Amino acid sequence: MRGGVILTALLFAAVLVAVLIGQVDIGMAELWQGLITGEGPGALILDTIRGPRVATAVGAGAVLGLSGVIFQTLLRNPLAAPDIMGFTSGAGLAVVAATALGVALPMPLIAACGGLAAAVLVALLSWRRDAATPPLMLILVGLGVGFAASALTTFSMTLLPSEVAADAQRWMTGSLAARDWRHVAQVWGLGLILGLVTFGQLQALTALELGSDLAAGLGLNVERARWGLAGTGVLLAAVGVAVAGPIPFVALMAGPFSARLTGARTLGGRLAGAIAAGALITVLADLVARAALSGIQLPVGVMTGLIGAPYLLWRLSREMERGEL
Amino acid sequence: MSLRAEALTLGYRDRRVIDALDLDLPRGGMTTILGPNGCGKSTLLRALARLIAPRSGQVTLDGRNIHALPSRALAREMAILPQSPLAPDGITVGDLVKRGRTPWRGFLAPWNDRDAAACTEALAAVALLDLADRPLDELSGGQRQRAWIALVLAQQAQVLLLDEPTTFLDLVHQMDVLTLLRQRNRDTGLTVISVLHDLNLAARFSDTLVLLGPDGLVATGNPQEVLTPDRLMTAFGLRAQIAADPVAGSPMVIPL
Ligand SMILES: Nc1ncnc2c1ncn2[C@@H]1O[C@H](COP(=O)(O)OP(=O)(O)O)[C@@H](O)[C@H]1O
Ligand SMILES: [Mg+2]
Repeated sequence: MRGGVILTALLFAAVLVAVLIGQVDIGMAELWQGLITGEGPGALILDTIRGPRVATAVGAGAVLGLSGVIFQTLLRNPLAAPDIMGFTSGAGLAVVAATALGVALPMPLIAACGGLAAAVLVALLSWRRDAATPPLMLILVGLGVGFAASALTTFSMTLLPSEVAADAQRWMTGSLAARDWRHVAQVWGLGLILGLVTFGQLQALTALELGSDLAAGLGLNVERARWGLAGTGVLLAAVGVAVAGPIPFVALMAGPFSARLTGARTLGGRLAGAIAAGALITVLADLVARAALSGIQLPVGVMTGLIGAPYLLWRLSREMERGEL
Repeated sequence: MSLRAEALTLGYRDRRVIDALDLDLPRGGMTTILGPNGCGKSTLLRALARLIAPRSGQVTLDGRNIHALPSRALAREMAILPQSPLAPDGITVGDLVKRGRTPWRGFLAPWNDRDAAACTEALAAVALLDLADRPLDELSGGQRQRAWIALVLAQQAQVLLLDEPTTFLDLVHQMDVLTLLRQRNRDTGLTVISVLHDLNLAARFSDTLVLLGPDGLVATGNPQEVLTPDRLMTAFGLRAQIAADPVAGSPMVIPL
């Protein structure tokens, strides 16, 4: 409980600092004035420059964090996150390819198709008759599918006119530049719906945590519950990708980070913690990415990559040592 | 009123494990499935619990094919404790036992008094009420096994299947678990069907034994009928003599 309060407080603080600091810093007074009167530099920052960006970061981080903890729980493996298993790359490929081909559908829908296709491909390639897929195999197959999707994305970009290609390149690393309130509405609206859908499946996930035999003994339709949860997880990740690109490692890190911080024991608590932690990581990474080097705005994905890659290596070596891979 | 296997054939891919087995396990009894490793005990138990579908034949509960029953309704009548259930990291005993209420809880239904009472009663039955707030992984092996049993007791099903509930326990804790199940069977009429390895404990705590061998069913009936030297030879390839257990009077297997 105390950990939960700390996490929430950290998130609010990070959001506040992220709005105040940037290429042009403003003070609390200016921000307050902008909020109340709707005028002055505070209002400009809030309405157009940083408000939508930070709000999108919160939303995208939250959906990625929730997606990550769903897969980590479902597959009982801290490495099993949608970014590691190639689902976010699949969603990214779909978005870039659709742009290149001039498909005019809403981004979240396109990203969802790409994410689901990648997930189905991973499931098919790692499927074994009569036996559960070992976690390492699932992760390796996922990595492979992810690399293939990234390669195809790079290829699709060569088909784009050069100005668009530069944007697409940036977006593919995970970027929150030039977000507006439509992006905010998208990620918050869809995120909220999918969040409710997830919490509706909480009982099923709670039973599945005990292993599929005991879950079936408790009256769960195991196959259906697994597909429902995996589908929800993929859609959550796709919504994040649609507004912010395939930001790497947020989904991977959010669950374990919040579990460490909050010590939450109930599954509901762990999911809520991962939502907050995903948002916190994304907001902070974006803040550092645009404020660290004066004059240069790095994409958020560069920052999460810099923290996430060492984390992944540490996690991998730990799992290997414990023989859990 | 019983759990029955009717011409039940089970297998994996091209391998047939159980062939046209007929069994009648009456309600209110304590039944133990015995046999050498790999003969199909778990396979049979899993089929009785509807965890695997039969190749042919069927399993019926009071005359109803279990595959035709809704999952949740079946879970209210029949519970299974698999051989190695998975414990979520850091879970407490109390939280673990609560999960046994799953089949009784509606979509988003709040936790109610009946759920709470069932959990308290289950924890009391396994003598773990005092440890309800302790993390499962801080418990001893015997206590941990009792916590898992409390989970399936909280499920309040009248038929309980257990796959090797005593295998990793020392003799004292094996006795503990079996005494507890027998108590429950006597007090509440719970039907207990389990897979065990210890022939003597099985003889002592069971009303019915089901002895499987490498080629399927060897014998079924009460312990005196089933445990005979030639049947032990057929099932296990074991040369043994049978004597009466000086304490319980049940047959006792003495390997030669
Ligand atoms: N999932 C499975 N896939 C293929 N074969 C299996 C599977 N589970 C068990 N078997 C085989 O079926 C036979 C019976 O296994 P099991 O019922 O676990 O035996 P027991 O519980 O008596 O030791 C064994 O030969 C085992 O190798
Ligand atoms: Mg077995």
